Amino acid sequence: MQSAPGSVVVPRNFRLLEELEKGEKGIGDGTVSYGMDSADDMLMRHWTGTIIGPPNTVHDGRIYTLKIYCDESYPDRPPQVRFQSRIQMSCVAPNGVVDPRVFQVLGRWSRQYTMETVLTELRREMAQPHNRKLPQPPEGSTY
Amino acid sequence: MDGQLPRRIIKETQRLLSEPVPGISAAPSDDNLRYFNVIILGPDSSPYQGGVFKLELFLPEDYPMAAPKVRFLTKIYHPNVDKLGRICLDILKDKWSPALQIRTVLLSIQALMSAPNPDDPLDENIARHWKTNEADAMNTARQWTAAHAQPA
Repeated sequence: MQSAPGSVVVPRNFRLLEELEKGEKGIGDGTVSYGMDSADDMLMRHWTGTIIGPPNTVHDGRIYTLKIYCDESYPDRPPQVRFQSRIQMSCVAPNGVVDPRVFQVLGRWSRQYTMETVLTELRREMAQPHNRKLPQPPEGSTY
Repeated sequence: MDGQLPRRIIKETQRLLSEPVPGISAAPSDDNLRYFNVIILGPDSSPYQGGVFKLELFLPEDYPMAAPKVRFLTKIYHPNVDKLGRICLDILKDKWSPALQIRTVLLSIQALMSAPNPDDPLDENIARHWKTNEADAMNTARQWTAAHAQPA
């Protein structure tokens, strides 16, 4: 596990339980959120996230849903993230998968990052100059 | 990492290994000495009798000022355990005291298996089942034990 010597490493399942509880309480202003797909997924692998598009961009007011997959190696390794809602964005492949080679939160993953980090940073990315004015697929369309 | 592990945790671990509680085993994992693999045998005369229940336990950074975190990994039909294996037990929450230990926590979970408390439920459906038809609920619990809690 990648951590400084002597530091306390929260194991995967307890880390995901913490994230679940935080997600259930609601995060900040609600512009990003996430939850587990199924209440009896003991392995806590399948999650759905949502991002409300940031203001003053083409994404303003749109609600994007994403599938997040946390395999056994999470959070030592990043989750797999895929948009379910269609979107044009520099870090999103034509099939909706968020490309870790372009999206640095996944590409240069740190164990401290969470699903909240992923969603918040994707939302920030939507507002970047190279993304904020890209023509978008019809609202509500999915991959 | 061993060098940084608080003495209290080392002592508790040694005692858990040298004087195990009957029906309970708890051993730290090789790569994280705060993370324990736990097995609790279903108590006799409970619907969990004959079952082998796996749990995981983690001692957070502020242990023993904060309670250990514990969850069932084996599916169990019990009014105080939810679908994710989380356990509703007062000493894991507001009744935690640093005077308690890993051993006390595991004994309390074993006792909770013997005496489910449907008046303080975590799973409302199972609790309702327990309160309206205890015999039938215990039957379901026995079926789950047979289906999910068998030794590998």
